[in-house]
Amino acid sequence: MTITKPANPPAAKASPQPDRQTDRGSLRALWYLVPALLVFALFLFYPLGRSVFLSFQGSDLFGRPSGFVGFDQYTRLFTDSGFWNVMWVTLGFTVLTVVPSIAIALALALLLHQKIRGIRFFRTAFALPFAYSVATASVIFGVMFNQATGVLNGMLAFFGLDRVGWLTDPAWALLSVSLATVWMQLGYNLLVLSAGLGAVSDDVVEAARLDGAHGWRMQRSIIMPLLTPQLFFLLVTGTIHALQSFGQIHILTKGGPQDSTTTLVYSIYEQAFANNNSNFGYASAQAVVLLIIVVAVSAIQFGVLERKVFYR
Amino acid sequence: MAAAGAAALALTLSACGGPGSAGAGDAPAADALENADGVTVVNFWHSMDGTNGETLNKLITDFNAANEGKIEVKGVYQGDYDTTITKYKAAVQSNSTPSMVQIYDIGTQFMIDSGAVMPTQTFIDRDEYDVSDLQPNIAGYYSINDELWSMPFNTSMPVMYYNKTLFEAAGLDPEKAPETLAEVGEAANKLSKTNGGPAEFGFNAAIYGWLLEQEIAANGALYCSPDNGRSGERVTDYSFNNDTAVEFVDWWKGLVETGVAGNTGRATADAQNAFKSGTIGITLESTGALGGMQKAAEEQGFELGVGFYPKIEQNDSGPIIGGASLWVSDEGHSDAEKEAAWQFMQYLAEPATQATWHTGTGYFPISKAALDEPEDVAWREQYPQFDVAVQQLEGTELTAATQGCSAGSMPQARKAAEDALEGALLGGDSKAELTESVEALKTEVENYNNSVQ
Repeated sequence: MTITKPANPPAAKASPQPDRQTDRGSLRALWYLVPALLVFALFLFYPLGRSVFLSFQGSDLFGRPSGFVGFDQYTRLFTDSGFWNVMWVTLGFTVLTVVPSIAIALALALLLHQKIRGIRFFRTAFALPFAYSVATASVIFGVMFNQATGVLNGMLAFFGLDRVGWLTDPAWALLSVSLATVWMQLGYNLLVLSAGLGAVSDDVVEAARLDGAHGWRMQRSIIMPLLTPQLFFLLVTGTIHALQSFGQIHILTKGGPQDSTTTLVYSIYEQAFANNNSNFGYASAQAVVLLIIVVAVSAIQFGVLERKVFYR
Repeated sequence: MAAAGAAALALTLSACGGPGSAGAGDAPAADALENADGVTVVNFWHSMDGTNGETLNKLITDFNAANEGKIEVKGVYQGDYDTTITKYKAAVQSNSTPSMVQIYDIGTQFMIDSGAVMPTQTFIDRDEYDVSDLQPNIAGYYSINDELWSMPFNTSMPVMYYNKTLFEAAGLDPEKAPETLAEVGEAANKLSKTNGGPAEFGFNAAIYGWLLEQEIAANGALYCSPDNGRSGERVTDYSFNNDTAVEFVDWWKGLVETGVAGNTGRATADAQNAFKSGTIGITLESTGALGGMQKAAEEQGFELGVGFYPKIEQNDSGPIIGGASLWVSDEGHSDAEKEAAWQFMQYLAEPATQATWHTGTGYFPISKAALDEPEDVAWREQYPQFDVAVQQLEGTELTAATQGCSAGSMPQARKAAEDALEGALLGGDSKAELTESVEALKTEVENYNNSVQ
C-alpha cells in the first residue's frame, strides 16, 4: 500500500509553508492521542460530567435522576451539621496520616542511609508495608485493635492499664484508623525518600564536610534541601491519597463509632450505596465538593510550597 | 397458639387473591416452559458465600442435572445483601435484571414497591400450590396483605450463645440457660473479670440494629406504626423508642458501663470472633452462626450452650424470623424464564432440599416436613443445639409484632437504630438517643412514601 503513493512524503518535505506542516503535524499527533482521549472521556470526563449533572437532580427510589432541583442538594449539604462533622473528620484524617507518614519515613530513611552491616535487611524490612494491600493490612489491624481479644489491649492489660476501645470509642477511632494508614503508607514514602537520598551527590556531601558541616547540621542544611522535591511530591500525592482513602475505613470502622471516622469519601459511599440508600444527587454534590477540595489543595501546594522546592 | 396461627395463615395464603389481584403482571401460562425452544436459562443473583455458597451451588447443580436440556440455572454470587440489592437497583435502571434474585428480609417492601417483580402468589394461585408445608412464621414475614410476594429461602433467628465452660467456672449451672434480661445480666455479672469471674467480659454482642428489632418483637411490641406495616397501610412512623426498646438498651448500657460487657463495635464478625476465642460468657447472634460457633468451641476447647433469645419477661411472643427470600423479575423476561424460575423455587422449597440446606448451612428450613427427613433428624441428634431454634420458632405466636416491621425505609431505619444504640452504649441517654433517631427518620419515611405514590 505504500507503493501506490510514493510521491507523498517527499512532497510534504518539500512544502514551502512551514505553518501548514505544523498543522498537519498536530493533526497527526491528535490522531495518536485519540485512543487515550477516548479512554479518558469514557472513564473520567463522562463520569465527572454525570456527577455534576446528578448533583443538580433529585433521586428517586432507584437513584434515577428525578428532575432538576437547582442548588437544593448543595443547600442541604451546607446546612447539614453532619456534613461539617464529615469535613472535620476528613481534615483530621488527612493531617494525622500525611504528616506522620512523611516524618517517620524521613527519619527512617536517614537512619537507613547509614553504612552499617546488614543495612539491606533493614531497608527491605521497613519498606515491606508497601507490599501489603489495604484490605489485608486493615483486617490484620482490625484483629489487633479488637477490644476483647486484640493484642494491643492484651499488652495494656499486661502492664495493668485499662482497656482502650481502639475502634469503638469515638475519641480513639480516628487515631487508630490513622495509625493503621500511616503504617500502610510508610513503606512507599520510605522508598521514595531513600531513592532521593541515594541520588544526593557524594561530591556535595564531601564538600560540605570539608566546610565543617557534620551531624544534624549536615542533615538540615545540606541533605534536607536536596530532598525537597521528594518531600513535596509525597506531600501532594499523600494528601490526595488521604482525601480518597476508603478501604481501611470501610473494613475497620464503617465510618463509626458515632460517625467519628466518616470522611468525605466514606460519606459519599454511604449516601449512594450503603443501607439501600440511593441518594445519588446528594452523594454527587459531595463528590463535587471533594473534587473542588482536591484541586484547591493541590493548587495551594503547588503555588506556595513549590517555590521552596530545590530542583537541581 | 402457634398451630392456630399456622392454620389461619395457610387459609389466607391459599384462599386470598383471585387471578389478577396481585400487583404486577399476570402469571405466565403454565405451559410456557414446555413450548419454549431449547434450554431456558435462569440467571440467579445471590449473596451466599463460603459454606453456604458451596451448599447452594450443589443444589443448583442437582437441579440442573434433573432438568437437563430444559432449564439451566446460573447462580452468580453478587456480594453481601446490601451489595446485591444495590446491584439489582442498578439493573432495574438499565433493564438488565436477572431472572431471579435473593434479597434480604428488610428489602421486602422496597422490592414490592420497585414494580420490577412478579409476586410468588401469582404462581401459587395459578397452580393452587400447597403452601401448608411452609413454616407459618417464615411465610408470615414475606406475606404483605396476605400475599406471599417472594419465596422464603434461607431463614434464621437470633439465639443466645453461652460458654458452658465459663459458666461452670463461675459457679453457674451450665445446663440452665438464663432466660430474661435480668437473669442474663446476673449471670454476666458473675462471669466477668471485673467481678472476679473467669470471663474477660460476661456479655458482649455486636452493635447490630437487628438485635434491637428482635428484642422489641420478642416482647410483643411494634417497631413501626401502624401495625408494623402489616395491615395494608404504609408505615408512617418508627416506634423503636418505646419502653421495651429503652429498657433493653438501658440494660445493655448498664452492663457496658460497669465493665461487665465489652463493646467490640458494629461488625458482627468482631463480636463473633471475640466469643469464639472463649473469653466471652454470653453473646447474641443468629442461628446462621451456629456452625462456626460449634467448630470454634471444639477448637478452643470450650463447651457451647445455646438458649432462647432473652426477653424482658416471659410471654408468648418471640423473635422475628429473618434471612432472605427469592424474587422473580417480571419486566423484560420471557414467560418461559419466569416459569423456569418458579420451578427452581419449588425445588428449593421441597423438604429434601431444605433438609440438605438446613444441615449444610444452619439456616432454618422453610419446610416443616424437612425436620422429619432422616438426614435432618440424624443431624439434630448430633447437634442438639439446633433444636433450640426449632423450639423457639414453634413457641412464637404469629402476630404483627413477630412478623416484623415491613417498610421500604427499613435498611435506613436499622442504621439509625444502630446509631442510637451505639450512642447510648457510649454514654448517651437511651431514650433521648432512640427518640432522636426516630425523629430523624421521619423525613426518610416521608421521602420514601412520596417517591412510591
